[in-house]
Amino acid sequence: MKKKYAMVVDSSVCIDCKACMVSCKVQHSLPRGHWRNWIKEMRPDFSLGKYTYGHFQPGNCMHCENPTCVHACPSGATYKDEETGIVQINEDFCIGCGNCIVACPYFARYRHPVRRVPDKCDYCQDRLAMGLQPACVDTCPTKARVFGDLNDPESEAAFLLRTRDTVKITTSPEDTKPNMYYLASTEPMDWPGEVKYPAAHSTMTGLVNPLFKIAVGLSGLAVAAMLIRQIFSGSESSEQEEKKEEA
Amino acid sequence: MQERMIPRHDKGGIFIHWFNAVCWITLTLTGLGLINEHWNPLGGWYPNLMRSLFGSPEMLLTVHMYLGLFWASVMIIYVLVRFRESLAFLKEIFSIRPARDMIWMVKKNIQMTMGEKMLKKLGMTPDIPPQGFYNAGQKLFAQVTVIAALVLIVTGVTMFLSTMVLNNPTPVAWSRTIHYLFAGLALAGLLVHIYMAAISREERPAFKSMLTGTVPESYARHHHELWYQQVKDRI
Amino acid sequence: MQDGKTPISRRRFLQTSMAAAAVGAGLQSPLVKGLVPRVQAAGSRPDQGEITSHFTACDMCFNRCGMIARKQNGVIKKLDPNPKCLKSRGMICARGNAAVKHIYNPDRLKYPLMRKGKRGEGNWERVSWEEALDYTAEQLMDIAEKHTRCGVMFTPGVDSQARFVQQFADVFGSYNITNHESLCLLSRNRAYLDTFGEVPYPDVLHSRYIIIAGANPLEAFITPDTTDLIEAKKNGCRIVVLDPRFTRTAALAHEWHQIRPGTDMAFFLALCHVIVKGERFCCPDKTFGYDKFVEHVAKYTPEWAEKECGIPARDISRIAHEITEAAPRAMVYPGRRTSDYEDSTQIRRAMAITNVLLDNWDRPGGLLASREVGVRSPFYHIPWYDDNPFDRVEAGKASGLFDDIGSFQLMREAVISGEPYPIRGWFSFKTNFMQTAPDRQKTIRMLDNIDFFVNIDIFMSDTAWFADVVLPGNSFLERKDPVHPLQGSSACACAFIRDPVVEDMFESRPPFWILQELSKRMGFGESFDFTIEEYRKKQVEGLDGALEIMHRDGIYFNPSKVYGIYAGSPLKTLSGVKEIYNQRYERSGDDPMPVYRRPSNPPEGQFRLVVGRTAFFTQSRTNNELLTEFMEENTLHMHPESAERLGLKNNDLVEVASRAGKDRLRLEIDEGIEKRTVYMATGFGSLSPQMSLVYKKGASIAEILEDTHDEITGNAAMHETLVSVRKVS
Repeated sequence: MKKKYAMVVDSSVCIDCKACMVSCKVQHSLPRGHWRNWIKEMRPDFSLGKYTYGHFQPGNCMHCENPTCVHACPSGATYKDEETGIVQINEDFCIGCGNCIVACPYFARYRHPVRRVPDKCDYCQDRLAMGLQPACVDTCPTKARVFGDLNDPESEAAFLLRTRDTVKITTSPEDTKPNMYYLASTEPMDWPGEVKYPAAHSTMTGLVNPLFKIAVGLSGLAVAAMLIRQIFSGSESSEQEEKKEEA
Repeated sequence: MQERMIPRHDKGGIFIHWFNAVCWITLTLTGLGLINEHWNPLGGWYPNLMRSLFGSPEMLLTVHMYLGLFWASVMIIYVLVRFRESLAFLKEIFSIRPARDMIWMVKKNIQMTMGEKMLKKLGMTPDIPPQGFYNAGQKLFAQVTVIAALVLIVTGVTMFLSTMVLNNPTPVAWSRTIHYLFAGLALAGLLVHIYMAAISREERPAFKSMLTGTVPESYARHHHELWYQQVKDRI
Repeated sequence: MQDGKTPISRRRFLQTSMAAAAVGAGLQSPLVKGLVPRVQAAGSRPDQGEITSHFTACDMCFNRCGMIARKQNGVIKKLDPNPKCLKSRGMICARGNAAVKHIYNPDRLKYPLMRKGKRGEGNWERVSWEEALDYTAEQLMDIAEKHTRCGVMFTPGVDSQARFVQQFADVFGSYNITNHESLCLLSRNRAYLDTFGEVPYPDVLHSRYIIIAGANPLEAFITPDTTDLIEAKKNGCRIVVLDPRFTRTAALAHEWHQIRPGTDMAFFLALCHVIVKGERFCCPDKTFGYDKFVEHVAKYTPEWAEKECGIPARDISRIAHEITEAAPRAMVYPGRRTSDYEDSTQIRRAMAITNVLLDNWDRPGGLLASREVGVRSPFYHIPWYDDNPFDRVEAGKASGLFDDIGSFQLMREAVISGEPYPIRGWFSFKTNFMQTAPDRQKTIRMLDNIDFFVNIDIFMSDTAWFADVVLPGNSFLERKDPVHPLQGSSACACAFIRDPVVEDMFESRPPFWILQELSKRMGFGESFDFTIEEYRKKQVEGLDGALEIMHRDGIYFNPSKVYGIYAGSPLKTLSGVKEIYNQRYERSGDDPMPVYRRPSNPPEGQFRLVVGRTAFFTQSRTNNELLTEFMEENTLHMHPESAERLGLKNNDLVEVASRAGKDRLRLEIDEGIEKRTVYMATGFGSLSPQMSLVYKKGASIAEILEDTHDEITGNAAMHETLVSVRKVS
């Protein structure tokens, strides 16, 4: 049975303690200044007086169903793993063009300053192999993050999704169909960027790829035509050649 | 009567031609396998096949990259070692006579694809302007290939160095796009070239000359008259 | 030969395809695979090597959360929570996670150092342990000779081996032992001891209504309270926060009142007024002094309180009604650090008395007594020295002074004045008064009268920077520690040990070894003639299998009683019941019931400075590259309107000045802070260049805070300083 790993987050219990960020950073030896996960905060409205409140929203790569980062990769070095639902990066196959980083509206990816390839949350695959929860999930003081296989009805994640209202932080114009579910409600919701593909990429898919097909297609057609002519009018041209030889 | 054979290509030229043939074809085949399966021009099956054939996507990339670098190195060395010949070659392929070449292109295309009858139907005479060492079609293909070669080398090296030394990914992304574009243009030309060279009966002597180095005199006179006139006395 | 396509012979075809297949197969061989360009640089691939797991307990703060260290190739790669540790609810915070950069911090002390040149110059000479220990022993004995054993002051930090420093000091013969607690929670302890006879542990998880005043548990972690508070909230517990700052605790509370700083007593006295007036307290007969108290709070009406603290009277009344409805599963959260005002003990008395009126003592959702853990303290003989003075040096300087802890600030004054007797030596282990005690200049002045100063730490802290001998301790991941008991309110009563996960790094050594070596040189080696293993066995005598369980699970639980521990027995107070009216205070001249004193209003252009910390730092343990990424320097928080009046903009470099000193840091506009208050976090403005990440970054609270303290306990009063703020650039 294929797995569909996802996260269900109760952002209302997040206290912005940064444990998840440090845990992830240590687990994956991330470089200074870069993170695979984050905690967003909304600006409190102090006009509410004694009812002024704050809300903190932990997040990371959402391993979307419609991952625009995957579409933006010229070679498919980043792909959605069919077996697990994890959006993977094959670092040895990546040439560091950076398209995927721009194409993610959640800014989930960053360019690793030393390895020069994109880096992002991979649901701590090494830990999963050891039977452990992802680092951010394991460490959280208030257990705001729940990780699990949505295809396993017994998992806590699937249970929460079944029994509770959830919201997703969606994007426009393209909906990436994120696999991160926030219980009940969450804020802020308006922080993602737009899905946009770098000019190099849209030129590739929008111009060069069709052009390629047209050019090679036409060429192929021409060759086919010539070949057909050759086969069917073979006698004709051999006649001509004999004439020339006699000349 | 045994026909006189006119030398056309020397050993170096022959070697570099076949060297290019093998490399370009392999690079094209591997290169196409490096394109995202979601919008691969040959369809999703092709990159998947190539990647499993080579064991892993990164192995396919490795072969493509190192072959590309190898090809580029040999080309550069060849040009440097045979500098005069290379310069002459470039001079030849870039010497264009627009009117003459255009007529040749149009007439030849129609003649090859739709036959001489179509030519007459369109009101054109079947006589084709005389050509030099390379005919207009060959020149065009060579131009495309040389320019493409340069662009492919520059963009290829950019991509190769990307994760090793480059800090700005934008040139890499553009290199990808441009590399693909020029490889595609070259491929379009290559298909015609392969047909012309290897399949077309008319050009059979030319194909042979890429193995032996010589062409029959009648062939030279008919297809490359201007060149024939230049060299016929020197043989 | 026919001119036509030369057909490809079958043989050629087979040859070609087999060649292709062979190439394909060959490319998959490991040899060729090795040619695949690996992505450059370290960290791109998980290291090869088995990962082993080891139990330990975190030491990044006092909570001691159960941890599992993951080691690979001899290096600790990750620290994970021990899911079995109930006290920490199976979690570790940002600081725990960052401990890998504490143990492997390039700034760590590596070998013993001795000062050359003047104190604070930083002219260090590396010496051997032999030399350092010989010299230290000699100097301490020298002071003992000239100024009695009490001529050396000892400051043990919060540590499993602090007990050994205590033992050392006791056997050496000094009474002058103090620690960080007089900068922290003594006034809280005093107030609750004097009300309930014990310092309570709040049962947050089962509470239905919690008022948090002057505490910030969602940032200043206390286990299990921090986690339990959120869990309780999910279960319907109402949380009311009183704080001049909009902290994270305020952000997640149901109600946050921006109380005028220092006026908490007014709020609570008024709350009590409503409770007693409405006869909403069930059990006056279970207390001492209820009737007197009713009279006492008659004048402390909500309307009066509103004028003092700024919280509307109707809110005070409403909260009083709501909390008594929820009682006894309701509480005023005791908090931890209460080093704020000069009447801090009395403020907490008002809060403790409110708790009395909620009848929540020793019951679910209320304040719990210490639970039995069962860990013993092995006996050691404390010798008598005839020439020793009668008492500790600050005795009598505060009516409620804790005899075993005293007060650092009062002791400091005694050292400076030399009265009632001189103290000329300082033995510091894991304390950092140079960075944490108010009035840093005074601490530096104190050193003028200190002939010998030895400091054990893992970093060259600001305090170590001024020492004469600096001895490198080992980190908790290198330690073999005795059993340490912990109270976890309703979560657990537990104990843990530590065994080394990695060997002592560089030449660092555990404090226990240092003390053993010193004791041998100082003539009382037999007091330390035991191993940690032997000591542990003595500690768990009577607890069958406790050590085995600690090794197996990383933590030992004593399933001792949680509620009803007293069950009819008298409380440890003079009256035997909850003392609303404290008789001892009456005798010592302090207010037997809290009397409100209005804090001074900062004059125009000045602000009250309050201090605190974040969830990712522990006081002055800020020198950690993982944690400073969240805050590279501290800032001065100021309300936008106040900033505007002073012509200040966000990020301006400002100078903050008090009567004690001044320092510079950047301004941060904060809509959530009270307008006449400014705030800064602790742990910055370091004087020691070997605290490289915080050296000269931001400002130090120690530099700016004035030397004020709680009248009753001598606990530091860190919110009494009024400062002026001006732009520098």
